[in-house]
Amino acid sequence: MVVDLDLTAHARYFKFCLNMLPSEAVSQDASRMTIAHLCLVGLATLGQLNDTLSETRRAQMVDWIYEQQIPRAGAYAGFRGGSLFGPHSSCSYAPANSANLAATYSALCSLLLLGDDLSRVDKHAILGAMRQLQLESGTFVPHPGTNEHDPRFIYCACAISSILNDWSGVDKDAATRYIAECSNYDGGMTQARFQESHGGHLYCCVASLSLMKKMDALPDRQRTLKWALFRQGGGYHGRTNKVPDVCYSFWIGAVVEMLGGHDFVDTGAVAYFIRQCEADIGGLAKWPGYRPDPLHASLGIVGYSFCCPEKFPRMSPELLLPESVLEAHRARQTQ
Amino acid sequence: MRIEGSEQVEEAVSLAQQAEWQDITPIEQEEGEGSMCPIAYTDEYRELMGYLRAVMAVGEVSERALSLTARVIEENPGHYTVWVYRKRLVEELESDIAEELDWVCDISRKFPKNYQLWHHRESLVTRLWAPSSALLVSEDQRITNPVLRRELQFLDAAIDEDSKNFHAWSYRQWLVSTYALWTQELVFVDTMVNQDVRNNSAWNQRYFAMLANRNPSVVRLEPDVAKSEIEYVVEHIKLAPNNDSPWSYVTGLLLRHAPSMLYTDLLPRIKQLAADNAYQAAMTLTPFYWSALLDIYEQQAADHPDLKKQLVDESSAICDQLASETDIIHCRYWNFRKTSLDTC
Repeated sequence: MVVDLDLTAHARYFKFCLNMLPSEAVSQDASRMTIAHLCLVGLATLGQLNDTLSETRRAQMVDWIYEQQIPRAGAYAGFRGGSLFGPHSSCSYAPANSANLAATYSALCSLLLLGDDLSRVDKHAILGAMRQLQLESGTFVPHPGTNEHDPRFIYCACAISSILNDWSGVDKDAATRYIAECSNYDGGMTQARFQESHGGHLYCCVASLSLMKKMDALPDRQRTLKWALFRQGGGYHGRTNKVPDVCYSFWIGAVVEMLGGHDFVDTGAVAYFIRQCEADIGGLAKWPGYRPDPLHASLGIVGYSFCCPEKFPRMSPELLLPESVLEAHRARQTQ
Repeated sequence: MRIEGSEQVEEAVSLAQQAEWQDITPIEQEEGEGSMCPIAYTDEYRELMGYLRAVMAVGEVSERALSLTARVIEENPGHYTVWVYRKRLVEELESDIAEELDWVCDISRKFPKNYQLWHHRESLVTRLWAPSSALLVSEDQRITNPVLRRELQFLDAAIDEDSKNFHAWSYRQWLVSTYALWTQELVFVDTMVNQDVRNNSAWNQRYFAMLANRNPSVVRLEPDVAKSEIEYVVEHIKLAPNNDSPWSYVTGLLLRHAPSMLYTDLLPRIKQLAADNAYQAAMTLTPFYWSALLDIYEQQAADHPDLKKQLVDESSAICDQLASETDIIHCRYWNFRKTSLDTC
């Protein structure tokens, strides 16, 4: 592999995104916590986080994240997706200022990436609220008042529980049963029983099982690994007969790592596709020649690190975090 | 802002200048110095959000609040708490559900992949026609009912626009399951497969329609149904042998619901196709044919241990061929598969 990723341009891209997103990004206004997480993960994978963000800036960011933690008991607790909800004190109608599982997961990861020890996290509020978000079928809704439910939120619940090292918010048996039903005829996994096998939902299902230590619940592990491996035709695509998209370098790439299939991948071909997706201005786009965005940039870079692990900090496939950050966090927890 | 000709349309006038909103003080968003990924809001969005925060903060129930939520959702359909608020407003104001569905239809075209829009749709449809009432009439009557007919038409258009829109197909599964529209679904699936034989969403939908909500772990396919599916698949393999979808469909279907028919019925049919002059070259070149043989032999060896040695030898040769010629990108996987043949 002679040509490599333009690390400097991508670090600069993440820095710009952390500083400001264009007005077209307004549809992401309630998901800024996730975008921020992805930018930090991108920087961490490039080994550039502490060089790009000064200690002062990192501390300020930590404070901003904690400002998104819902303070009152009674309202749905956890972290909200951004500050568009307004000051906490102004709100007497609780649903107007609500946390959600995805933002809580992203907030915890972001805090760890910024070097915080999670001491200001209201763990009991988060886990207490989480219990109420799990449906009888075992899946999760992201916040109260919605009927939206799928493996993304099972994954967020499992990731939060793993990071906080407390599973009192998750009925693991019910979640595992639901995930097992998401197994499809072709070996893939999906959003709900009978839906099309999909790389993103495959990731959420497998990562959840891994975090819960329930990988044995996969109905046919070898067939699932094969489905994942066969999403490679050059780069990875997310569904049968679709074109490669750089984000699947992570969704599928991480599943392959978790199922022990790293040695079966043509990593050169995956890496080559990822490099094709680099944008001149920095960042990566879903397809070659397309516009970059933080999600594709971040997941493409983490996916790239799976292809050439000797060149990058080791990334956890189950949690979008460097292994070193996780280890430091676990060490603090056992003290 | 919508500007027609040289005049601004009424709605584009700033809220601060509208009499209706004089009693409200907008609530500003708070950002600290450590603000992460702030968005360069347009002035219009910033103002809308200031007023929305003010009415949501006290949970105001009013028509003006309802129309404000519409304007914000049209800019940002991902604002998850606005949906919770809107649902409450629609209920408490006893809004016309059909009109609400009209509005959802309009913005769905702009945001075909937004999760909340599709879920909002589900709750509106079940309110317009409760499934328990719908199931009292025949399927023919159900599909001609204006509510369901409109949903099916909407789905036709969405899938026409993007034949693999995951949200559209999953909403379609919800609609078909909830209102038991199984007969028409098999017809629809067949149309879609014939439109594009490589559309995996359509093949997946065939599996969905075949099982009709039965629990997969207890379904056994009747032999005549399985044979008919095998014929259907073979006819579509002929159109494009190097196409993952029909191969995955038939091997998956039989493995789950009629495993012995993998080797009693599917195997002779595909071997016959591979021997046919018209298809021989294409079949030899496609990894899916050889991979299907491996799956079939694996099942056969499990059911007939006396044949195992011969099947393992044949499978071994197939793995070599796949690794060295037919599917080189996955050669490491095929080499691994070869080593694990004996342990199956």
